Amino acid sequence: MSTRLEPSPVMVESAVSTGAASASPALPETAPVIFDIKGLNVYYRDFHAVADTDLDIHQNEITALIGPSGCGKSTVLRCLNRMNDLIDGARVEGKVLYHGIDLYGPAVDAVEVRRRIGMVFQKPNPFPKSIYENIVFGPKVAGWKANLDDLVEESLRRAALWDEVKDKLDNSALDLSGGQQQRLCIARAIATSPDVVLMDEPCSALDPIATYRIETLMRELKERYTIVVVTHNMQQAARVSDRTAFFSVNVGENGQRTGRLVEYDFTDQVFTAPSLKETEDYITGRFG
Amino acid sequence: MTTDQRPDFHAALNSLEETTMDMADRVERMVGIAVESLVTSDNSLVTQVISADDIVDELYMDIRSRWMQIMARQQPMGRDLRMMAAILELNNTLERMGDQAVNIARIARATAGLPREETILAKLVEMGDLVKPMIRTSIDCFVRRDAEECLLLPAMDVPVDVLNRGMWKHVVECGHDQPLLEWATRMVLVSRALERVGDQAVDIGEQVAFLMTGDHHEFTRYTG
Repeated sequence: MSTRLEPSPVMVESAVSTGAASASPALPETAPVIFDIKGLNVYYRDFHAVADTDLDIHQNEITALIGPSGCGKSTVLRCLNRMNDLIDGARVEGKVLYHGIDLYGPAVDAVEVRRRIGMVFQKPNPFPKSIYENIVFGPKVAGWKANLDDLVEESLRRAALWDEVKDKLDNSALDLSGGQQQRLCIARAIATSPDVVLMDEPCSALDPIATYRIETLMRELKERYTIVVVTHNMQQAARVSDRTAFFSVNVGENGQRTGRLVEYDFTDQVFTAPSLKETEDYITGRFG
Repeated sequence: MTTDQRPDFHAALNSLEETTMDMADRVERMVGIAVESLVTSDNSLVTQVISADDIVDELYMDIRSRWMQIMARQQPMGRDLRMMAAILELNNTLERMGDQAVNIARIARATAGLPREETILAKLVEMGDLVKPMIRTSIDCFVRRDAEECLLLPAMDVPVDVLNRGMWKHVVECGHDQPLLEWATRMVLVSRALERVGDQAVDIGEQVAFLMTGDHHEFTRYTG
């Protein structure tokens, strides 16, 4: 029997108290901790991708993960809904506590994890089906019993797409523009009623107007969901996120590049007066 | 090894800072010449201050224009953002300091034919001698990124404030002589202008502290 992942008040309280003690560097607590990452190390076979990461993710906030290529930010993101399980040779050490439950515990069902913690990818990847079918696919698999039409409308409204597609729900999702496809993917992700949405470079394939719409949508969605976003675009992280985690790379003697968390703080602080020179050098373009 | 990934941006930022420091040097000289024009009643010095202020005003507009372009094009962050914020403050502050120098010089011209009271004049010269090192200190601290030395500025400002507050007493003593009273009353404005210049030097010191620490806070000032 798999472990239930629905949060309970006790779990949340536990996670908050644990997170407050372990956050590194420590942060003022303003919102409950939803993810409490402790001593995270990720390996792809012999390759040590991420080292010794402690990080708290707070509920109904947008947390941005930034850093240079190869710093492990996407790897950390994928650990939050066990997407790394799908990569051959991937190994995760340490704890990823979600509402106090270890996501990598032996009794946790990875499929249930991904239902609770949805993901939106860099390139919009709608199914080659109708707009309607894209939304209902996941809920149907999960045994959704309520009215599907209502679910489609609600999901598309929350993704700020309803008005644009309500008269063509049977059209192919592939006929939508790139920005619309990405919002459809967000609608698809939230159709399964997650409480976390992970976004891996969600705007990198979009034009500026579509990017602006996604960023606006992210700010709306955080009222209901916790959002963690990986972005190469520091201006985007500065615009949308509440907190920012800066990752960097250690290069070992054998040339192996291992990602690590350098600084984690409120976004206002990170982009105006970060605590560490390494962070400041990165955000001001003095690195490499 | 750290490599600059944004050399064009940083070159533009450095150039903006250099222009601001050029403006600061000019303003410092203007204040000195303005006080000298008061002592010597030399109209050519007044003209020199006014001409110098025209250049300062041009620099002010140039800095504003380049500042806007950099913000729009480069979206600076971290210490670059703090430098941009500090430069904007310095630009405004220095332009106003230049205006104070012009005010003093214009008063020197307007009062050239009037009788003078040497005690008041000596106090004003003393105030000038106090504020010029304050300007120099604030600018040097900015150039050296010295957040420690700029903490001296409020203490340097104390005698300037004391002299300004004491000026009325000397003016009242001129009440028996109408032309002298007219001159002395104008000198209150000079005293006030120099007192403001001292405060503005402290403002620059606060910008140095902000640049280095990221914290906005006013230095403790003399209020006695």
